[in-house]
Amino acid sequence: MNALLGRLLIYLALAAAASGAVVALTGGARPSAQRTKLARSLAAAFAWSAILATLVMVMALLQHDFSVSYVAQVGSRSTPTVITIVSLWSSLEGSILFWAAVLGIYTLFWLRMSRDRQDDPRTTSTVGVVLLVGTFFTLLIAAVANPFLDTPGPIPLDGPGPNPLLQNHPLMIIHPPMLYLGYVGMTVPFAMAFAALLGGRVGPDWTRSLRRWILAPWAFLTVGVLLGGRWAYDVLGWGGYWGWDPVENASFLPWLTATAFIHASMLEERKGLYRGWAMVLVLTTFALTVLGTFMTRSGVFNSVHSFTQSPIGPLFLAFLAMVVLASIVLLAMRLHTLAPGQPMRSALSREAAFVFNNLLFVIFTFAVLIGTTYPLLAEAFRGIKVSVGGPFFDDFAVPIGIAITFLMGIGPALPWGRATPGEAVRALALPFAVGAATVLVFVAAGMDHATTLIALGAAGFAVAVALRDMIEPIIARRRAHGGGLMDAARSTLRRTRRRNGGQIVHIGVALVVSAIAISSSYQVKAEGVVRPGGSLAVGDYSLVLNGMRVVSEPHRQRQFADFVVYREGEKVGVLSPAMNQYAMSMNPIGTPAVMSTLGHDLYLSLMHLDSREAGLRAFINPGVSWLWLGGLVMLLGTAIAAWPARKRATGPVTAEGEATAGGAA
Amino acid sequence: MGHEATPEAPPSRFSWPVMAIGLVIVVPLIAILAVGFQHDPHDIASPLIGKPAPDFALRDIDTGREITLASLRGKPSVVNFFSTWCLPCEQEHPILMAAARVYGDRVNFIGIVFEDTKAKVNDWLVRHGGHGYPVLIDVGGPAAIAYGVYGVPETFFIDANGVIRDKVKGAVNFEVIRSELEAMP
Repeated sequence: MNALLGRLLIYLALAAAASGAVVALTGGARPSAQRTKLARSLAAAFAWSAILATLVMVMALLQHDFSVSYVAQVGSRSTPTVITIVSLWSSLEGSILFWAAVLGIYTLFWLRMSRDRQDDPRTTSTVGVVLLVGTFFTLLIAAVANPFLDTPGPIPLDGPGPNPLLQNHPLMIIHPPMLYLGYVGMTVPFAMAFAALLGGRVGPDWTRSLRRWILAPWAFLTVGVLLGGRWAYDVLGWGGYWGWDPVENASFLPWLTATAFIHASMLEERKGLYRGWAMVLVLTTFALTVLGTFMTRSGVFNSVHSFTQSPIGPLFLAFLAMVVLASIVLLAMRLHTLAPGQPMRSALSREAAFVFNNLLFVIFTFAVLIGTTYPLLAEAFRGIKVSVGGPFFDDFAVPIGIAITFLMGIGPALPWGRATPGEAVRALALPFAVGAATVLVFVAAGMDHATTLIALGAAGFAVAVALRDMIEPIIARRRAHGGGLMDAARSTLRRTRRRNGGQIVHIGVALVVSAIAISSSYQVKAEGVVRPGGSLAVGDYSLVLNGMRVVSEPHRQRQFADFVVYREGEKVGVLSPAMNQYAMSMNPIGTPAVMSTLGHDLYLSLMHLDSREAGLRAFINPGVSWLWLGGLVMLLGTAIAAWPARKRATGPVTAEGEATAGGAA
Repeated sequence: MGHEATPEAPPSRFSWPVMAIGLVIVVPLIAILAVGFQHDPHDIASPLIGKPAPDFALRDIDTGREITLASLRGKPSVVNFFSTWCLPCEQEHPILMAAARVYGDRVNFIGIVFEDTKAKVNDWLVRHGGHGYPVLIDVGGPAAIAYGVYGVPETFFIDANGVIRDKVKGAVNFEVIRSELEAMP
């Protein structure tokens, strides 16, 4: 029953998406009102069918309806309810179904938000492009990855449950959906850019709206990337949060190009510069999300994330090729119509800083892309398997990251147009002093690692610029209008909300950079086999093994090792890393135990555990808390910048206000 | 909507340079990804298969006596690279010991320690039920390099004439050992 209903909904979604795309894209330069209306109705039909199909799957999972093939594959009666729902995206077929549902949600949002500009042909073309993407995904579901098949043979009484790695940590409940919201959300900006190029019209109004639409998926992607790091930290047990795993890179790549776009779009909006370039970035971002999904799901890459080689890979690659080729052809046809704006006048200007910023982001993207695909390249040409490890990536990520951090401070500090050297020096002197002071403070605290200190200096410099940028207008307003400081702050902050949001994001980035700089060069590590009563020392901690215990849960058995933690002789707590044995899986999966403070984390991870002894790895990871805090600050800043203004944001009134504040994001 | 800033679509003029730059960047990438499909990422082929096995001269962890591959000719050999820090190695260790009990009279079983210390290995072997066959210490890793070991465990199946017949990456099971040995000429 569920299987049949699900299949019908998928066919309906496919039919609606395909016909809607045809209706929307074949109406010529000015589609009729009727045609527009029909296309929008079909888009809504696609969206609701995809969402309902996903809900049917969730119901089937909850009912343990093993007659549905996907439930038989990932369901289990012993799995807790939350994990059962999460099983939706634990395997290939379900995750693509979920992909379609998320696209459905974005489609509904787009339809709602574009109600008032249905007469703009670009709006209808956008619907058409979104539906083309929807057609591909529903076709995948219907043809090769259908989760709603009837289970062959007798219906099983119970199933194996989802992949143990996914069951092992609560972050798996939110990390994948965040990434999906980020990946799938890039469809709308892509469709908008595509539609604008198709119609040969990209204006400041369209770019502004585009940036608005990219901010939400960008924020989801930011959260997704950071949560991915957090998950690796909490689950994989090697003491770090970022391993340049192909799938981690896959989520980082579109983040880089989307970030570059957010900055490039401000040049476009403000100066009419690089209009075509901004479009290239949007198109690339979407192509990279498709590549990311491909990397995760095709099995071409050997990664903790890719579970199987699947028939879906070649289809994804074909889709990727079509997206990219269509984008290139479209750019070749239309790029000349995107007239350049005022030429750049000086290297000492905010424009120039934005251009350098974009250059660095693009180099970063290319380098990560090459590092990620190099193993395939080496295999294709030399017939050998190589793995490109962290050191390769760190070699370029560190200098580029530091340069971007510096630019993050230089850009907002310089004026648009042209600064005289004197002005530039005056604008940068105070922040530079703060950066230097930051370095001195950390040197005084005993740090001597040059790269780390440079990164911290750059971060301090950028934070100083961001804070000054937020505070200065308040003081200026008070001087001009008098009144209390709070009143001045309130009215200034309201008018410069988007800019302040951007600066808060910058502060968050500076925190993240500092955390990475410190944690990557000052980790302390110890390793050993400990018997009950024995101990292992790491830094000024001493870890005494109190004993082992086994806890049985319906779907797994957990074996804990209880370590009493002493710091300089004083007991500070108990940490209990565990090994988990899942019913249907051969290898046990560890769960590290972490004691977190603002200064550092004490991180214990088991290599093996039996009734006699524990193989323990202990790390002191300094500064890691600031990574997650920095992420929260970035999120807060994005929310402030993207929060809808009281007046319609795309209207001409705020357009002016935003243009004057378009300094940072 | 501010349509005033957006002129009507001008006539198309195709830009071949843009097309060319785009294709130069994108086509190789897609070609590489396509090539990736022909391979299982977990199956690491060895160019050594079908070739004479590189000889080695390594010291036995128990006796300190030097053992060379050449001295093992005349019988097929199963050479297993392992280390104490690898979980699959723990899994396959009892299987290798069982196989050595069953086939030990007809086949040489050799363990070679990969990037590990003698003390740790001794401790590990004690904890994992000993070893029914010689375990050799590869100081500095010349044998691992000669055999192109990519990550432990890796097991090489060498025939009586000293030719590498196959290589298995990851933990072996008994079936694999049996079928490999039965396939030996």
